[in-house]
Amino acid sequence: CFGRTYTHGYVVTQETLDQVPMGSSRDQVLLTLGTPSAIGRSGGETFYYISQTREKMFEFMQPEVVDQRVLAVYFDDENRVREIGNYGLKDGRVFDFISRKTRTGGADYGFLTQVLRGAGNLTPAQGQLPQ
Amino acid sequence: CSTKEEEFDGTPADQLYNQGLALTNSGKFSKAAQQFDKVEKEHPYSRYSQKALIMAAYTNYTSGKFDDAIIAGRRYATLHPTDPDTAYALYIIGQSYFKQIPDVTRDQKMTEKALAAMQEVVTRFPESEYADDANRKINITRDQLAGKEMEVGRYYLERRNYVAAINRFRVVVTKYQTTRHIEEALARLTESYYSLGVVSEAQTAAAVLGHNFPDSEWYKDAYTLLREGGYKPDEDKASWISKAFSRTGLI
Amino acid sequence: AVVNRIDVTGNERVEDETVRAYMTVQPRRAYSDQDVDDSLRALYATGLFSDVAINKRGAVLVVSVTENALIYKVSFEGNDKYDDKMLLTQVKSKPRSVLSRAKVEADTQLLLELYRRKGRYRATVEPKIIKLAQNRVNLVFEINEGDKTGVARINFIGNHAFSDSRLRDVIKTRESGLLSFIRSTDSYDPSRLESDQEALREYYLRHGYADFRIISAVADLDRERNTFFVTFTVEEGEQYTIGEVNVQSSLASVGPEELASAVRTDPGDTYDSREVDKTLEDIVLEVSERGYAFAEVNPRGERDYENHTINITYHVDEGPRVYIERIDIRGNTRTRDYVIRRELDFAEGDAFNRVLINKAKRRLKNLGFFKDVAITTQRGSSADRVVIVVNVEEQATGELSFGAGYSSAEGVIGDVSITERNFLGRGQFVRAAVGGGESTRTYEFSFREPYFMGRRLSAGFDLYRRQYEETDYRSYEETTTGGNLTFGLPLNEEVQLNLTYSAYQRDFDVADELKDGCYMRKYNRGDPIPRSCDRNGDGKFDRNLDTDEASLAVKDAIGETFTSIIGYSLIYDTRDDIKRPRDGYYGKFQQEFAGVGGDVAFIRTTVEGRAYREIWADRGIVGMLKVKAGHIESLDDRLKLPDHFFLGGETIRGFGTKGIGPRDGMTRDALGGRYYIAGTAEATFPLPAVPSEIGLEGALFTDAGTLVDVDDSANFFRRVNVVGDNGDLRWAAGFGVIWHSPFGPIRADFAWPIVKSKWDETQVFRIGGGTQF
Repeated sequence: CFGRTYTHGYVVTQETLDQVPMGSSRDQVLLTLGTPSAIGRSGGETFYYISQTREKMFEFMQPEVVDQRVLAVYFDDENRVREIGNYGLKDGRVFDFISRKTRTGGADYGFLTQVLRGAGNLTPAQGQLPQ
Repeated sequence: CSTKEEEFDGTPADQLYNQGLALTNSGKFSKAAQQFDKVEKEHPYSRYSQKALIMAAYTNYTSGKFDDAIIAGRRYATLHPTDPDTAYALYIIGQSYFKQIPDVTRDQKMTEKALAAMQEVVTRFPESEYADDANRKINITRDQLAGKEMEVGRYYLERRNYVAAINRFRVVVTKYQTTRHIEEALARLTESYYSLGVVSEAQTAAAVLGHNFPDSEWYKDAYTLLREGGYKPDEDKASWISKAFSRTGLI
Repeated sequence: AVVNRIDVTGNERVEDETVRAYMTVQPRRAYSDQDVDDSLRALYATGLFSDVAINKRGAVLVVSVTENALIYKVSFEGNDKYDDKMLLTQVKSKPRSVLSRAKVEADTQLLLELYRRKGRYRATVEPKIIKLAQNRVNLVFEINEGDKTGVARINFIGNHAFSDSRLRDVIKTRESGLLSFIRSTDSYDPSRLESDQEALREYYLRHGYADFRIISAVADLDRERNTFFVTFTVEEGEQYTIGEVNVQSSLASVGPEELASAVRTDPGDTYDSREVDKTLEDIVLEVSERGYAFAEVNPRGERDYENHTINITYHVDEGPRVYIERIDIRGNTRTRDYVIRRELDFAEGDAFNRVLINKAKRRLKNLGFFKDVAITTQRGSSADRVVIVVNVEEQATGELSFGAGYSSAEGVIGDVSITERNFLGRGQFVRAAVGGGESTRTYEFSFREPYFMGRRLSAGFDLYRRQYEETDYRSYEETTTGGNLTFGLPLNEEVQLNLTYSAYQRDFDVADELKDGCYMRKYNRGDPIPRSCDRNGDGKFDRNLDTDEASLAVKDAIGETFTSIIGYSLIYDTRDDIKRPRDGYYGKFQQEFAGVGGDVAFIRTTVEGRAYREIWADRGIVGMLKVKAGHIESLDDRLKLPDHFFLGGETIRGFGTKGIGPRDGMTRDALGGRYYIAGTAEATFPLPAVPSEIGLEGALFTDAGTLVDVDDSANFFRRVNVVGDNGDLRWAAGFGVIWHSPFGPIRADFAWPIVKSKWDETQVFRIGGGTQF
């Protein structure tokens, strides 16, 4: 009853996903989903939209990152949407919440694990530069 | 109704002007400013009034009355737009704002005004003797504005809101690339992207930092941070960071 | 067309060169009519010329100008309400600037507007231009202020639910009357009329009148008597209670039942627009936590006119998907950026949500650092991005204030304090105060950091030294020097946990000292009086001291004791306004453990609950119920006198200070007790006869309570006749008058004990007040 949850960055809902069906153009994606958090390369270009969910038990505490999601939009070489994955961590393994399948391979599997494993223990290395 | 004629003390323009000069030389700037104001008020058409106006701007500035200095400078620039002294008038306006720049945790309105005034000096009078000091002041004000972006970026980084922090450091990399904050901005980008988990962008930021500032302290920190995780700086040309730098051909 | 020369005529002060510089037309180069227009516009824009004409004569372009005259001096005559310096800063025409007909006209209107705002509708402003040599002029504004246009009468038409006097309390405009010389709100000001209408609407909507409408708000001027008659015509409509309440959500994965808990408007309640707003806020927060950061909630009411109920449906649907690109803070010349930024629940990159912005605005205003807070939005770099600009107008947050007060126990007391609520712009609170009176000396210093270690966790410390000399109510001197450290941990908007450590050194002494053979009893008025003397030095005193002697229990406590306490307290607070609460609850549960070092060990538990409610809104009557209880248990051998609870007039009015509870039958010193409970029921109401602007309130109250169980385990107690430790409930009732003076609330109470124990000390009249800090 005291806790508060905050969502930062990109918010994915079913309504928005319906607006970027397979084959929609790069500009269409930019128009509906906006500028991506990161752009990768696996086969064609890939847009990554990263969002963080943070929680705090009590008002005085610092919100902790509890979940991190990556919406990946894969383009083919004509810059048409080839596939969309909404990845999060499910019991420690990369899981696609759209196709309801556990991801095991794929070119950007490494990238996805880094981002999502970050959510598991908050960040891959919790690296902090000397303040 | 009274016209209060007596204020019109009738000293001729040149005498008033010389009194002003004498006072200026003996360091009594605010008294000098009053004399120059009188010249301009009572002898608007004498050729001294033009010189008195610029001297009023100078003396008000040196005695710390920045608003009066700005008003006098602005009026001189309007009255004599092509006159070489206008460069000095604009410079005085810039200096008046420059002196009121607050620290980075406060509203940077004065910094923005100083930047605009100094830019006016450089664009309208590029060869004037004040141009290079104006350029120096432009760099300092831009550095201050970049400092403000870094301040807010660090605020979000401290609270582990990496998405917000990245946006602020991005502004420094894209808009304030020539300021001395660029090194820290790239290092902070490495740290933010790394903590967010986007290691490829972190590697790019560190690599660009390494190329341009190989012996900077910030590069050492960024490098050690990546190495702890088993990564090393490696630039991905597609990243916005390297694109931002390639445009300026710094690499 | 082409010309090979440009001539300038009619200029005196401005050189030809300057005029040519502003023109886009150049000699020996083709120019179009457009260039001529541009040049004309540029020349007019300089403001130097009242008239410019450009015409071509053969191969020469002639530019004839008439220069605006130069203003030599601007002066004002007949102005009293505003001084010359202030007016000079307002008007556009400045000395040494150029005279322009338009500017003078604008200045005249500006001056008239300034006087209207001070309620001077009869003021007239005449600009006079006096020609001087060399095309210079003096500009004189002749002002005739006329006397103040007051507000003779404010009346309301169409109000049945609330009386005229009650509604006059709601709005800010006041009728001119008794105190008009010191107040400005009784002069008519159109902008204040706007906010008055808003206040009326808000008041009615909070009391169930969902259909409330202001038909007209008219102020007609009676020229002869120079006063205004303000008339508000309102249509109240019916008072609605809430019928059904349901939530409809178009969001896929969020069902209405999940949001039911966030709804505050329950069926059967009177309709209250504030509850509706709070519900909107809670639903949006609930929904955004489920990932729908863009949710919008719109309430729709269907009215059932027969039985005056209103069914409310909250429609929850997807709002526009807009992100916050940047948050720029403006206007903070003193307050630091992070002190403002940390109050915002949203950050850059988050979803844009209007409700969170209103919440942030409220939070920033509560800081008390700003006169005004305005949060506006501008387009961002792309359609789905927005830039939020938080513009603050800072106000002075430092106060040097003097307090004076009178309390029956301590006599006249006064204090001087310096407070800074926004120390160095870091949002920190610093206060230093020195106080004194006939029998007291107090020194205090406190500091608080609201965001300790960057979290919403306040940390602060206070240092104090308090000296109380002996008085008619207190047979001992007590000097306490100490400090405490407090951490405030808000758990959510309403509940807060405080962790405290306090330590103090108390020096306790009885006033009788032996001086040249006599025991001198010090009284606070006049010098000490010998009470019992040994004239001949044979060791026998002429009077047995025991009767007036301080109680043995008091003597037992003589000396210095050091107490070191750790404690925690849980506070629940939903009062609508701290200074004058009309609605809401306050609860506090506190436990303190003395014995972390120090000479004494005890556990002290106190609990307090207060409920405020507007029981009769029309008459502005506010009811308050309060209950307090406490228990203290010694952990080492026994509890000394000063650590006991004491109960008296400050809690149960009608009794003297420490007038209730166990007492030393012989010396009548109060001994205190280990258990106490006290309750109060009070109704406060604006005094009907007195005009409300004086700020007088009446109060009817009844207090009850008891204090029992003095720790008499010490053997000396065998020789102390303890009386009044029977634990029956004392009960008193009375009435009070509160004056909300410019120095703070001052209160006088008259209360008569109805049920009391024979040993209690009673006191009908009690007064207290001065600036409450």
